[in-house]
Amino acid sequence: MSPLAQLRALPSAEPIFAAGGLFLLFLAAPLLAAAWLDPRSFNGINIWIKPLKFAVSMSLFLLTLVAIAPLLRPEFVRSRGYRIYAGVVLAAIGFEMAVIIGAAALGTASHFNVATPLAAALYTAMGILAVVLTSASAVYARALWHAGRGRTWPVLHDGLVLGLALVLPLTLVTAFTLGGNGGHWVGGTRGDAGGMPLFGWARDGGDLRVAHFFATHAMHFIPAAAIPAALLLGPARRWPAWFAAGGLVALVAFTYAQALQGRPFLA
Amino acid sequence: MPLDDLFSLANRLALAGWAALVLALWGPRWLMLAGGLALPALLTCLYTGLVLGFFASAEGGFFSLDAVGRLLSGREMLLAGWLHFLAFDLFVGAWQVRTARRESVPRLLVVPCLALTFLLGPAGLLAFLALRAAIRATRTPGNAGIPA
Repeated sequence: MSPLAQLRALPSAEPIFAAGGLFLLFLAAPLLAAAWLDPRSFNGINIWIKPLKFAVSMSLFLLTLVAIAPLLRPEFVRSRGYRIYAGVVLAAIGFEMAVIIGAAALGTASHFNVATPLAAALYTAMGILAVVLTSASAVYARALWHAGRGRTWPVLHDGLVLGLALVLPLTLVTAFTLGGNGGHWVGGTRGDAGGMPLFGWARDGGDLRVAHFFATHAMHFIPAAAIPAALLLGPARRWPAWFAAGGLVALVAFTYAQALQGRPFLA
Repeated sequence: MPLDDLFSLANRLALAGWAALVLALWGPRWLMLAGGLALPALLTCLYTGLVLGFFASAEGGFFSLDAVGRLLSGREMLLAGWLHFLAFDLFVGAWQVRTARRESVPRLLVVPCLALTFLLGPAGLLAFLALRAAIRATRTPGNAGIPA
């Protein structure tokens, strides 16, 4: 099969995640229009940056799972239980996006908002649904483990399993610390205006979003390290995947401790 | 971008869309994609951006004529309302072109319907629906009716 044909066949393994991921990418267009037209700001930056970041990240999350789905056992992906679960994950993402966009439209906070009983209830629901949607990475880790190493390079298989398996525990620790902290800043300015380009992370104090970012992208960083390892050292050597996983856990621990001490990731 | 510039930009986009639609009655498929999909989608993006940004702070509502008047009294929502006209009229025009091509409605007769839809949206739709119904009613097996 040509690469283009392979790309076209990709969504068939997990069509609703593929459709959801593409829909979120399309959603970026009106959000960009809103960012362009609406002068309001929140935490010192345009109020539509946050919905845009979430749309792009959720899209990347779903499309990554789509790319992994062909490596799983077809019986698993087609099973009734998994189909229902995938629908629940997609609904959770839809709910998160609706709250984040709605809050931006109303000019209020989505996360950390306990100003009214409704806002507090929505914030709590978002926390629960964030766990539901992130659990998809753990489900994929387990399913890929069971599918065995035969479908791709052994080092990439292990990298994907390790990356996916680390997302949920690492994200739970970092994100719930964020939630308990009542905001992502520790010391420094409570605003995004002076933050790092693209990411918006604080440069004059701790920012718990850094550790959350590396935790949640374990499913990207570890496989991304496994691919050059397969090309340089051969696909059968599996230790680079485990080495990368250890490095990522260390990086999350380091950035987590750094933020809690109120120190910026990169000044 | 000042709202007046956005207004002019949107009008130009809509005009380009209508030109593409008229040509699409005879022309290639990409004209249909431009006038019937890409340009309406662009206008809906601008509309949605305005509504996301300004609806929450707008006054008024939907349930009385006065409330609708107040809703459109702010310039942002007034422009959003205008973009709503532009986008939906263009999309309805595209539907007419597609329907006409599929059902062999005489293309020259569709042009005035498009012109009317461009100027007075619903009146143009009504004209096209009437034209299509009249042609269907007079077309019998063995009699192709008015040649397409």
